Amino acid sequence: MTSTVPPRPATREEIAVLARNAGLDLPPEIFEELVQAYGNIEPMLMRLRRSRDRADEPAHVFDPRKFMPETA
Amino acid sequence: MTALKAAVHQQAREGADLCDLGIAELGQLMREGSISPVDVTTACLDRIARLDGSLNSFITVTAEAALAQARTAEAELAAGTDRGPFHGIPYALKDNVDTAGILSSSHSKIFADRMPQESATVARKLEAAGGILIGKTATFEFAIGGPSFDLPWPPARNPWNRDYLPGGSSSGSGAAVGARFVPGAIGTDTGGSVRWPAAMCGITGLKPTYGRISRRGVHPNTYSLDHCGPMTRTAADCAAMLGACAGHDPLDPGSIDEPVPDYLAALTGSIKGLKIGLVRHWYEEEATEEVIAAVDASVEVLRGLGASVEVLTLDPLRDYVDAKTTISIAELFSVHEADIRTRPQDFGKLLRSRVMVGGLVRAEDYVQAMRWRTELCTRMMAAFSRYDLLVTAGWMAPADPAIPDGVDFFKKRQLATMPFSLAGLPALALPCGFSATGLPLSLQIAGRPFDEATVLCAGDAYQQATEWHLAKPDLD
Repeated sequence: MTSTVPPRPATREEIAVLARNAGLDLPPEIFEELVQAYGNIEPMLMRLRRSRDRADEPAHVFDPRKFMPETA
Repeated sequence: MTALKAAVHQQAREGADLCDLGIAELGQLMREGSISPVDVTTACLDRIARLDGSLNSFITVTAEAALAQARTAEAELAAGTDRGPFHGIPYALKDNVDTAGILSSSHSKIFADRMPQESATVARKLEAAGGILIGKTATFEFAIGGPSFDLPWPPARNPWNRDYLPGGSSSGSGAAVGARFVPGAIGTDTGGSVRWPAAMCGITGLKPTYGRISRRGVHPNTYSLDHCGPMTRTAADCAAMLGACAGHDPLDPGSIDEPVPDYLAALTGSIKGLKIGLVRHWYEEEATEEVIAAVDASVEVLRGLGASVEVLTLDPLRDYVDAKTTISIAELFSVHEADIRTRPQDFGKLLRSRVMVGGLVRAEDYVQAMRWRTELCTRMMAAFSRYDLLVTAGWMAPADPAIPDGVDFFKKRQLATMPFSLAGLPALALPCGFSATGLPLSLQIAGRPFDEATVLCAGDAYQQATEWHLAKPDLD
């Protein structure tokens, strides 16, 4: 299994960078809420990074027919 | 019909509280001419005025418009115009469902004054079926952030005990139906938001197949997981309400063009020969002892009705929860990104945390969650080659106390609702017992895609054999 992210919790500085990349310029008290929330979801994200066949497709496969105009 | 049901019906004929009657019973009495839609609407409005002050289930009550609709329905029925089983039936809509000219706030300061110009498709369909809109119900903020005590309106309370929460996010819809304010309401369900409040309020709630009911005009939570669903007191009433609002809508990209069967006709009362897979490990590992005992006892009822039941093992709940939560928060951020960047202080604290953190999910994480969704769904669908239905717990515990910051969204028990959300399958939550503290417990029945008929048939058969759904909270 390859992983692009080390299996350790992000630091506050790393979370701040992620927040900035998301366009979030947060006051200190709201940043604290984000740090707490990210601590809860980060283990989920790490568990999702499993070895898969390269050809495994995600669930949202594109269907071009959906964009055809309705015909009378 | 059980003796208790017959007694309820007889009481209604003799002028007992009309609010105790369900959709089927009201419809029958209206067509007999014993009661009128105006009588029923007036009874609902009176009960709401008398009791909702301590339950907070409604954000808006549309009394005048409801009475006008009721008078129209009364005249139509008297003239022999019958629009079907939902004609003349009062109902409520969750406040994330757009209603033209009526506040549609999603229970948020962000939309505190929002008056849409158009109604959602589901609202239009229920109106066209002759339903009478009584009002708009409380929700977790934008159908995910809650239970919150820092919003413009207070959170709804549980009709079985006002010191407890009614679940969510369709909290007001669950409380309003449980409190006998309306016989039916529409909720929305992304990870369990119809089934959780149904379970906590002692009512019956159906999350239909993804694409079965249009979400056009319903504020998005997670595009690829959002559903609308009926919340009523019985499976039979869910069938009536689903029939009134299901169907293809080309204006909803997720809507699927499948025929809508006659769900009421599917309620044969028999489940003899049905093959049921019991996903016991999900609740055995997570639920309270009372829930385990109640669900196991319900399985024996189903077995006694002639279904064959086998225990099967699916993927661990945590796998579904990880995939669902990752997909959900990433999509949620895309819905709210403009507001969360410019006015984060206008969100309730709980929603703000859930939205902000979605912005930190990387594209790789989202795609991995969607690939994981493919794997999990494929394995679950394989189970339906052996079974007609899957059964498990509706919720893992009775209701939580109504304490600010008392429920941590990310640290809750693993949710048995989420696998069927991720797979887009129809799933019904229905009452199956009570805790020692007098709070409802719930069973969950799921079926193949677009096979709501079999799910509802099994739920109805269970309710013909049991009386949990007839219990009524004492609010007076």
